[in-house]
Amino acid sequence: MPLDHTLELKIPFETEKQASIATKVLSPDPILKPQDFQADYSSENNVMLARFRSIDDRVLRVGVSSVIDSIKTIIETMDELS
Amino acid sequence: MVNLNTVAPKNNRDYYIALGLEGSANKLGVGVVKHPLLPKHANSDLSYDCEAEMLSNIRDTYVTPPGEGFLPRDTARHHRNWCVRLIKQAIAEAGLQDPALDIDVICFTRGPGMGAPLHSVVVAARTCSLLWDVPLVGVNHCIGHIEMGREITKAQNPVVLYVSGGNTQVIAYSEKRYRIFGETLDIAIGNCLDRFARTLKIPNEPSPGYNIEQLARSAPHKDALVELPYTVKGMDLSMSGILASIDSLAKDLFKGNKKNKILFDRQTGEQKVTVEDLCYSLQENLFAMLVEITERAMAHVNSNQVLIVGGVGCNVRLQEMMAQMCKDRANGQVHATDNRFCIDNGVMIAQAGLLEYRMGGIVKDFSETIVTQKFRTDEVYAAWRD
Repeated sequence: MPLDHTLELKIPFETEKQASIATKVLSPDPILKPQDFQADYSSENNVMLARFRSIDDRVLRVGVSSVIDSIKTIIETMDELS
Repeated sequence: MVNLNTVAPKNNRDYYIALGLEGSANKLGVGVVKHPLLPKHANSDLSYDCEAEMLSNIRDTYVTPPGEGFLPRDTARHHRNWCVRLIKQAIAEAGLQDPALDIDVICFTRGPGMGAPLHSVVVAARTCSLLWDVPLVGVNHCIGHIEMGREITKAQNPVVLYVSGGNTQVIAYSEKRYRIFGETLDIAIGNCLDRFARTLKIPNEPSPGYNIEQLARSAPHKDALVELPYTVKGMDLSMSGILASIDSLAKDLFKGNKKNKILFDRQTGEQKVTVEDLCYSLQENLFAMLVEITERAMAHVNSNQVLIVGGVGCNVRLQEMMAQMCKDRANGQVHATDNRFCIDNGVMIAQAGLLEYRMGGIVKDFSETIVTQKFRTDEVYAAWRD
């Protein structure tokens, strides 16, 4: 099936370093079902760009919300521990 | 001989500091460990005697209502909610001013365990590593238990009985690896106890196994054990049949099924067995199996020391039975720790991770930090041991 359901998130951070850290933290983890869901992360200046592609809206929603959970942890770590 | 001082401490200090993060099951633990830099560690086999100081050891347990177990998704949410707060608290309690300057290495649990909870903790570990520019070390959870137990009890080369909610293994060290001599073929012993606690609908606070232990103590008919399957298979164990058997007895007891002759007197219909008796018999049966395979492993490797680690290791009755077996063997000793170090915690991850770090083992690429649900004890090369 084609991965034609897509979503792009642009998340602004305070600094360029923070955006690059978030990208590095999220990138390594493998996707459990790569044939159903794909994620790409990149950063430009202080913005992290996350691109998601999926076979349907449901898989897209589940996948994206788990990534957002991770991003919340990353931001909390930056706020509290740096 | 091993040189534990292969990597020098940061900033020319005479000590190492490690931060440990654990979240493989329903406990979230953060701990800080300090090792002094000592000349005796440069050429010796003293990995059990690092003179470690636990600067902080904080744990938060995700507790579910009676009758319910913990599910990966909810446990991961608990860990995400508390992880950063616990790290902050552990750092403050350890008296570290600036984590970026003070911490030599961040250690995290890479596996084995539940995938989602492990992942929620590693995200925080990676972020801290990049924020502070501190290296990471991934730790095998079982190795964490073993190294913490050795450091606390100073047992040099014991046979290790690792008993917890997710694992049941008899382990002995040989040729740079902790080798598994025997293990469960189906469910872990802690899982067996937890699930029986769910059948009984007793509280999961502080832990289901602890509550079973307390019930077993007050069993009125300790002289008459309820017969359960005894399933030792060579060096391995099987516990799912025992669970099914005791579960069905408990259900008959709750229903008042007078046809069950084990529970009720044939003639008078009087109840012969209580819930406490079931708890007692279950413990005696399971622990006898553990003692049997542990003794066989001891004979095999010619050791007279046993180290009990893992959550079930706090069970005083298990420690008693093991001590009896060791006493009957010549000059045997049992080593066990209390619940601060037995139950999953952050310092044990810091301890094992710091040993690895001192031998020069650090994560070079973040692809090495991917957590894994399956990670066997004997996959780890124990560079720090002779």
